[in-house]
Amino acid sequence: MSIIQSIKNKVRQRSIHVCYVNVGSCNGCDIEILACLAPRYDIEQYGIYVHNNPREADILLITGAFTEQWEDKLKHLWDLIPEPKAAITIGNCPVSGCAYNRRGARIDPPVSKHIPVAANIPGCPPRPTEIIGTILELAPVVFKDYEEKKAKEAAETERKTKGAKK
Amino acid sequence: MFSIICYLKEFLRAEWIKKFLFAKTPPLVTPPHYRDFPQLTGKECSHELRCMMICPVPDAIKVLKGEDGKWRPVIYKGHCLRCGLCVEACPDNVLTSGRILEQNEIDRTSLLGTYHLVIDNKLCMKCGNCSVACPINKEIDPRLAHNATSSNDDVIMRIKNSKLTILHPEKCTGCKTCEETCPNRAIRVYRRVEAVQD
Repeated sequence: MSIIQSIKNKVRQRSIHVCYVNVGSCNGCDIEILACLAPRYDIEQYGIYVHNNPREADILLITGAFTEQWEDKLKHLWDLIPEPKAAITIGNCPVSGCAYNRRGARIDPPVSKHIPVAANIPGCPPRPTEIIGTILELAPVVFKDYEEKKAKEAAETERKTKGAKK
Repeated sequence: MFSIICYLKEFLRAEWIKKFLFAKTPPLVTPPHYRDFPQLTGKECSHELRCMMICPVPDAIKVLKGEDGKWRPVIYKGHCLRCGLCVEACPDNVLTSGRILEQNEIDRTSLLGTYHLVIDNKLCMKCGNCSVACPINKEIDPRLAHNATSSNDDVIMRIKNSKLTILHPEKCTGCKTCEETCPNRAIRVYRRVEAVQD
């Protein structure tokens, strides 16, 4: 592992930038995210910063049961986030639709159908500790050695395409 | 001058510097009264399905038969609200979550459900699917089939004089089989849950 990579690993562990989006929930989960920012849970001591700007974000937090209006917008938002990135869904709604999943409801869960989701946090709503714990557990999995992994993958695809040509 | 020296002395202590630079709130512990997802206590389930009846969310709890032939409830995360109603409603204390069971023991409370069958006569087309599908009807009068006409007066509901009549709504256990089999959604099962204290 190169020195630059190890520095990047170390820095990324302490600065996870988060953007959250509500795709049609009751706001309960959003309040729970808000509780993470408050002094009791204090998300910034773990190196997680909330920006609400997808262009700066590493991790996208999604709450809500995915209403029809988000059909094209969430994909667009996901494309705005620079690599490396991950999406975490918060609450029951993005998994199952929860209490909204009734006959005639104009929702389209699960969210993993629309964009790739790395982790789900079940609960209605989940505890702030669960949210913080998931972000901290997931971040190293996605971001560690990202450049090296990417280079390896690129080399692999190149080899495959060359093999196909021959 | 003296005070400045005092301040410097205070702030240059290794202990203080360490505390200042590496301050963290203590690790947060989950309080014991917190209602987490219901856990199994190991007591035997008698398959009364009260947990499934009372659950406010679709598909959150299902009572399934295990490989050893015993019934046990399964909680689906991502559906479960952690409201704890299934824990309260269970007559055998199969599930536990937080302090609900202990509190029920102290308060001597339990939940009782009664069920009401409501028929929309405009939508009902007298096909008799509900009466035939009803598992309790089947137990009382095994010959009830096809037209759903029955000479037995003990059945929950039957078709008589080309009209769906409900005879014994108190026998209903709230399984909602009739609701599922009705092609028009003309029959609905409503539950009324009462908290009882003795």
